[in-house]
Amino acid sequence: MAMTLKDLQIGETGIIETVGGEGALRQHFLDMGVIPGTEVTVIKYAPMGDPVELRIHNYELTLRLDDAAKIEVRKIQKDIKEEIKTNKHKTAHPYLGEPGIHHCKDNEPLPDDHILSFALVGNQNCGKTTLFNRLTGSNQHVGNFPGVTVDRKDGAIVGYPNTVVTDLPGIYSMSPYSLEELVSRDFVLQNKPDAIINIVDATNIDRNLYLTMQLLEMDIPVVVALNMMDELLGNGGSIDVNRMEEMLGVPVVPISAAKNQGIEELITHAMHIARYQEKPLKQDFCDKNDFGGAVHRGLHAVSHLIEDHAEERGLPRRFAASKSIEGDQNIIDQLHLDSNELEMLEHITVQMEKERKLDRSAAIADMRFSFIRKVASESVIRPKESKEHKRSSQIDKILTGKYTAIPLFILIMGAVFYLTFNVIGDWFQGIFEMGIEAFINLIDVSLTNMGVNETLHDLIVNGILEGVGSVIGFLPVVVTMFFFLSLLEDSGYIARVAFFMDKLLRKIGLSGRSIVPLLVGFGCTVPAVMATRTLPSKRDRKMTILLTPFMSCTAKLPIYAFFVNAFFKEHAGLIMTSIYLLGIVVGILIAFIYKKFLFKGEAVPFVMELPNYRLPTLKNTLQLVWDKAKDFIQKAFSVILLATIVVWFLQTFDMHLQIVSDSSMSIMANLAGMITPLFKPLGLGDWRICTSLISGFMAKESVVSVQEMLFAAEGGVTAVLTPLMAGTLMVYSLLYTPCVAAIASIKREVGTSWAIGVLVWQCVIAWVFAFIFKLIFGMIL
Amino acid sequence: MKLIDYLILSIVLLIVVLIIRHLINNKKQGKSACGCDCGQCMNSCQKK
Repeated sequence: MAMTLKDLQIGETGIIETVGGEGALRQHFLDMGVIPGTEVTVIKYAPMGDPVELRIHNYELTLRLDDAAKIEVRKIQKDIKEEIKTNKHKTAHPYLGEPGIHHCKDNEPLPDDHILSFALVGNQNCGKTTLFNRLTGSNQHVGNFPGVTVDRKDGAIVGYPNTVVTDLPGIYSMSPYSLEELVSRDFVLQNKPDAIINIVDATNIDRNLYLTMQLLEMDIPVVVALNMMDELLGNGGSIDVNRMEEMLGVPVVPISAAKNQGIEELITHAMHIARYQEKPLKQDFCDKNDFGGAVHRGLHAVSHLIEDHAEERGLPRRFAASKSIEGDQNIIDQLHLDSNELEMLEHITVQMEKERKLDRSAAIADMRFSFIRKVASESVIRPKESKEHKRSSQIDKILTGKYTAIPLFILIMGAVFYLTFNVIGDWFQGIFEMGIEAFINLIDVSLTNMGVNETLHDLIVNGILEGVGSVIGFLPVVVTMFFFLSLLEDSGYIARVAFFMDKLLRKIGLSGRSIVPLLVGFGCTVPAVMATRTLPSKRDRKMTILLTPFMSCTAKLPIYAFFVNAFFKEHAGLIMTSIYLLGIVVGILIAFIYKKFLFKGEAVPFVMELPNYRLPTLKNTLQLVWDKAKDFIQKAFSVILLATIVVWFLQTFDMHLQIVSDSSMSIMANLAGMITPLFKPLGLGDWRICTSLISGFMAKESVVSVQEMLFAAEGGVTAVLTPLMAGTLMVYSLLYTPCVAAIASIKREVGTSWAIGVLVWQCVIAWVFAFIFKLIFGMIL
Repeated sequence: MKLIDYLILSIVLLIVVLIIRHLINNKKQGKSACGCDCGQCMNSCQKK
């Protein structure tokens, strides 16, 4: 019986013989370099035995064992002592894409008033966002690709106002495996940018050039930006840029986006090729001497067959030919071939498969990787093992070790919570609260001295200032939490969490990739919902979205912190951690229900790259934290301020717009009174509590401020509530509907009916668990 | 109500109007409903 990748042990190497699977998943394997004839080494298994981490084409890839079982291999003894190659030949500089005396005068330039458009394309984890930020500075605009829920960033190159760079999603190929790949492809084919800036990770050249080759086939001017050159050079590697430029037929510019090196040169080349429409000199990568020229003849035959159709449809001929052979139905449909031509296409492809002894997708992928191997052998000197990779391997021994991964994950997340709630966040919060109190007192005294009208005085002090002030006080805690979460994400640790959590998450019907949006949900539900766009399957996306409300966001922190401080101060850290754990546990229970009744079927296959660990850029992290703080303050002084004014009005006036002396006669009391009976079984049957929960739908941070306002006469809400009521209220707040912003983002991703469903369903779940809490703890508290 | 009352009330109303205008402008510019620029939220919009 043939050996499969699943049978290889740690440290063993095999040559891939056949690649099983079907459809988009198989194409994705091929696009990631899992092709017959490729060497693959097993690095490790996840702590629970699945998935497996492999080394292929000099990068790390994770695969589930079920998928690994579909790949047949032949075990080999890997020769550890590799020959260190030296580049003895100096290649003359081709001067592609350069202005001045080296400019090729074949084309007329585009008009001066033409806005030059660029598409920034590259793999994930190649530094694309860093490069985009370097190119555009703060001249960025965030929007949406039309018709799909994939965000889009545009910006003008700094110093060149007549330009627009569109940052496309990180992709591995132009195959339609995921929404992002389709969006990128459609953007290039339909919008026809004047040039493509293809960012390539120089430390991972093989896999990155796979996308480059497909971009070259699109017959649009391309400049290749070789990023992370500083890392490659620092590890003893090098690239003969001139030779690579000669072989690819496009300008190649070495850069380091992180260190801001080579950016000016890149811009010069990009502007030149765009202005003069200097297209790739080479698109024919198939070698007529490889395997008898089977793929070469097949590709050229199909190119001629579809030539007129491609021209008519505005599709690049070479790109359309290779996609047609691969069986990309999207492209085949666009070509509008007649039945005879479709038959001929199939015959040519079958003949190619027969001669090449590989199926069509594998044959095309192999053709590309063969060319890449040639380019790499003639222009790349690889370091033995980069410092960064060595370091990552050492760290992974501990952070993803069989017995250490999950305990360390719990420890790290526990440390994050402890530092946030008990140390850093708590300390700063105390200072903030002192300052806010002093400020409110000052305003109170000033208004009294000025003899301001009592009602107006009440609006400003007890309404606006108390309301907004009670929320602002939690800014340090919110910011601290976000700081730690972004550090974990930027360092590369979250990708590892996805790796070792995959088997666990599969039990609830999701893949390890869902851990990322779920973890982001601890910061804010809105970006967590949007982060699900990276999941290739609609099913997984929907299910993950429905589970994100159970990950308690930072907006709810003020609610917990307020009541924990008032009633459970000695056990603050423990209670806070328990609340978060409760959310996770309830989420898991509900996930089982979803898996059984709503989302039957398997989670999306888990094929993921593990990037090297990187020290998070302080600038990027601080930028993120600053933006979060800005957002929090903006929300406090906008939505929450409005909410407190509205609530103040509704609880100060009655139905005849007369000022009430007893707030239970107010408009608010009448409105909230309609739902108060629902909360009586929870022991929360007070219209003021219901009012605060309704305001929480606008912004969770306002729950506490509204309660303080409404209970002011009794000396604050903590004077009225018992510890049991506080606990029940916290459980209800943990689980009930997310805020209107989150519901709006859910509506945008999965539709109105699902959004309304989440709103209602979360309230029901919250009620049930709050009731259970009250029953159990009613005996203790 | 005195002059100072009208002055303070005008300031409060002006602030409310400015806030509502800001929220409407954000929505028109396609910013996320949370009010923030999604590009800055970690892992939200696109992979790096």
